[in-house]
Amino acid sequence: MDLLSNLLTGFSVALSWQNILFCGLGVLFGQLVGVLPGIGAPTAIALLLPLTFTMNPTTAIIMLAGIYYGVAYGGTITSVLINVPGESSTVMTTLDGYQMALQGRAGPALSVAALGSFIAGTVSVVVLMSFAPILARFALRFGPAEYFGLTAMAFGLLTVMGGGDPVKIIIATLTGLFFATIGIDVVSGLPRFAFGVPELLGGIDPIVIITGMFGIAEVFNSIEEEVRTDVLKAKFRVRDVFLTWQDWVQSRWAVVRGSAIGFLVGMLPAGGITTASFLAYLMEKRVSKTPERFGRGAIEGVAAPESANNAASISGFAPLLALGLPGSPTTAILLAGFMMWGIRPGPMLFQTKPDLVWGLFASMYIGNVMLVLMNIFLIPAFVTVLRIPYTILMGLIVVFSTVGAFSANNNFFDIWMMLGLGVLGYLMKKLNYPVVPLILALVLGKLAENSLRQALTLSGGSMGIFFKRPISAVFVSLAILAYLFPLVQWAIKSRRTRRLAKG
Amino acid sequence: MGVAHLLAGIVVLLFGSVVTFFASQLPYKGEYGPGPGFLPLWIGMALIGCAIAAILKAVRQVDREKERFVQPKTRHVAFIFVTLIVTFLLVPVFGLSLGLALFTGFTMRTAGRHGWILCIATAAVTAAAVRLIFGVMLDIPLPKGVVGL
Repeated sequence: MDLLSNLLTGFSVALSWQNILFCGLGVLFGQLVGVLPGIGAPTAIALLLPLTFTMNPTTAIIMLAGIYYGVAYGGTITSVLINVPGESSTVMTTLDGYQMALQGRAGPALSVAALGSFIAGTVSVVVLMSFAPILARFALRFGPAEYFGLTAMAFGLLTVMGGGDPVKIIIATLTGLFFATIGIDVVSGLPRFAFGVPELLGGIDPIVIITGMFGIAEVFNSIEEEVRTDVLKAKFRVRDVFLTWQDWVQSRWAVVRGSAIGFLVGMLPAGGITTASFLAYLMEKRVSKTPERFGRGAIEGVAAPESANNAASISGFAPLLALGLPGSPTTAILLAGFMMWGIRPGPMLFQTKPDLVWGLFASMYIGNVMLVLMNIFLIPAFVTVLRIPYTILMGLIVVFSTVGAFSANNNFFDIWMMLGLGVLGYLMKKLNYPVVPLILALVLGKLAENSLRQALTLSGGSMGIFFKRPISAVFVSLAILAYLFPLVQWAIKSRRTRRLAKG
Repeated sequence: MGVAHLLAGIVVLLFGSVVTFFASQLPYKGEYGPGPGFLPLWIGMALIGCAIAAILKAVRQVDREKERFVQPKTRHVAFIFVTLIVTFLLVPVFGLSLGLALFTGFTMRTAGRHGWILCIATAAVTAAAVRLIFGVMLDIPLPKGVVGL
């Protein structure tokens, strides 16, 4: 009954004309961003975040969330029609989606992606609504030791699931933590790493770092990598979209499995929607009786990853809202947004801001309906957007990034900081240092440090506090295991190499 | 790219050393618990440790890396970077909205080779949109230049 009354509260919030309008704008913008290679969901949200300074926080978060889950829908269009994933989460869709398009079946490919995403998104919202409050109630038991353990576990899991060089991931995490320590220390009142620059005393605003490392850095990287937006050859009509009964029968279980995998992976710190779509595709291929069809236009190869990426984008809100723990770069930027509006996500959010939480959940139903309709009727229009040259988009990104960085503190110094951080982000990507752990550590850095200091103050300096409390012991142990995992992997690899060398 | 990885490791080592040095100037312990220098000192030392690991790995792989750091289009990146610096330096003259509009028009013309009319029109629309949306509607006090925009 609680759930039903909360849902009614949510719909009363989400169905206000402002929230419907901004939800629609969010999903439309998300679709556009997904269609355009070279702009990702984190960049789009980072660029729009400063625009929401003066908005009602509930409306703002409904719009930004709409962008987030809308991107996954949009990225499919380019994956299927031109074999260029608009988003990393739709890379797997290119494998069978483009093959289907070559066989003249682009319509069913896009249709099953939209339908799968809709089903996965809607089911995920239902599960999220039931699960997130339970997670929040559980998190009410958390003290400083548990919060430190949680953040340490999130950083640790990045090294395992980040998919890159663990040393580089740790360096990026430490750099993010360092950025979070800049400015006046709230406990002692002493300035740290400000070097006499008054603008640094308040710390570096996350918006400045995000606009630099996602906006400006993305411009630099896209110029160098030459984003392809002018290779469109496909023609597309609305009547080509609809699925046949046989298509549906073939893909229905892929949708179910993709949704389940997506939901579970999306909740993990560092899980993310790209991993979810990748795992769903692999799982579908493994359970298929005809795996040889995969990569040659199997409709299940589109349905599974598309359902998974949408389910993951929705379930990523569970740890964000219930624990204040972002699992992906986009939710990390959303967390920065929450902080900007003076809201601290976490277990208390469900009690202090029920209109925001349940309004957001309800808006996801509305957003998913809007997206499925857009995907059926507006695909030809989105296809036209692909023709916009990157040299025009680049100007737009620079404008939004610059004004966004400036508006964080109305300070020109932040624009120079943004440019410097843009160069840093560009070099990091070129040298395979991931930016995501840096952003995650930046937004969680203050929580990690404050809870560490509080826990150690409570224990009189003994690290034992992290192992005496069962929940924090689990989190810290997982963090330690995660950090040891690359070492174990390295040791096994070296042993194998030695054995092979011996003969 | 191997040398670039090595240099990156050295930069991280220097960065970690600087963090450690300045963190060691801050109190490690506070009145009741860890002080403001506690976490930064550990961050700095961990950075040094990771930098050493990255350098050792880069040294082993320095000859194996085939990809080049400087790509054919890297000079375009440098060009956009310098254009951005010039744009920001000229903000006291043109103001932020006009400065960003000039950047958009200039890069469209030079990097995209678009026609003059399209470049000028886009620049004009950008200046008006930035001033209207951010300056007027969102009330952000955008820096104005000598020309008053």
